[in-house]
Amino acid sequence: MKSYRSLVSLLLITFALGGIQGACAANPKAPELVHTALRILASVYADMDAKLANQQFDRLPHENQEFQDGSGAMRDAIANEPADFKTSVLSTLEATLAAAQHVADSSKSHDAAQVKSAIDALAASMHSLNALFPEALRAEPGSVPAPQHGGPGAH
Amino acid sequence: MKRREILTALLMAPAGFVGYRVLAASSRAPQVELTIATDGDLLAFKPTELACPTGAHVRLTFLHTGKYIRQEHDWVLTVPGATQAVAKAGLEAGESAGYLPHADRRVLAATPLCGKGEQVSVEFIAPAPGTYPYMCSYPGHDTFMRGTLTVTPR
Repeated sequence: MKSYRSLVSLLLITFALGGIQGACAANPKAPELVHTALRILASVYADMDAKLANQQFDRLPHENQEFQDGSGAMRDAIANEPADFKTSVLSTLEATLAAAQHVADSSKSHDAAQVKSAIDALAASMHSLNALFPEALRAEPGSVPAPQHGGPGAH
Repeated sequence: MKRREILTALLMAPAGFVGYRVLAASSRAPQVELTIATDGDLLAFKPTELACPTGAHVRLTFLHTGKYIRQEHDWVLTVPGATQAVAKAGLEAGESAGYLPHADRRVLAATPLCGKGEQVSVEFIAPAPGTYPYMCSYPGHDTFMRGTLTVTPR
């Protein structure tokens, strides 16, 4: 009975470690491309956030289109990854794209609270996407801040 | 007849001298080639700092190196302190105007808008020494796509 429990524990640990390894992809084959892809999405997110701050709701569908376009960079970046990891990234990416689409849909309401809620949900989804990659490659939403007035070029 | 020709020549001499000086000054003006690009698909210029001497005949080439996002960019040089106001006026001018106010004296030079993979250029005479901001006038991009042109004395 004791050895049976040990075997089950060992199997669980093995599966868990395998799952973590599959989900983390410690060393993607194209780390630069992955980092750039995440930066592109973070950059468009920052633009969306700026549009909300400026109450430019009508521009948000356009930003969503840019987000959808920008996802191509991630698809290319993981093109040569193992199938399991690729599936994991693509399913998370699809969820992120759906969240971006929701931002565009909610922008039609011109309700700032509703749009903010949709943008927060997008940020949460982007955190999940980033979590699939090593920390050094991540570009979390909010990591591309809008330059403050008075910064370079703001004369 | 000869006297008249001599008199004409004497009268025209100062004008000819002025014309020569203008031509000479023009030929002495340095020709400067500047190149700037987008940072791929990111909302950023690369580089964010440019420099040239005052009075130079500048030819600036702007490359849109984006690959994925269907968005347009331009390069707009303004007088100091005017980027926000010009961007706002560009937004009001709308897409048909290329998001740039027509004949706005605050705009010193500007390329047309261009899409991913394209390049555009503009020629201008470098203004007085100083630091001039540049930006992309496409709606919202001015917040991120900024840089400065430093014009040095000659």
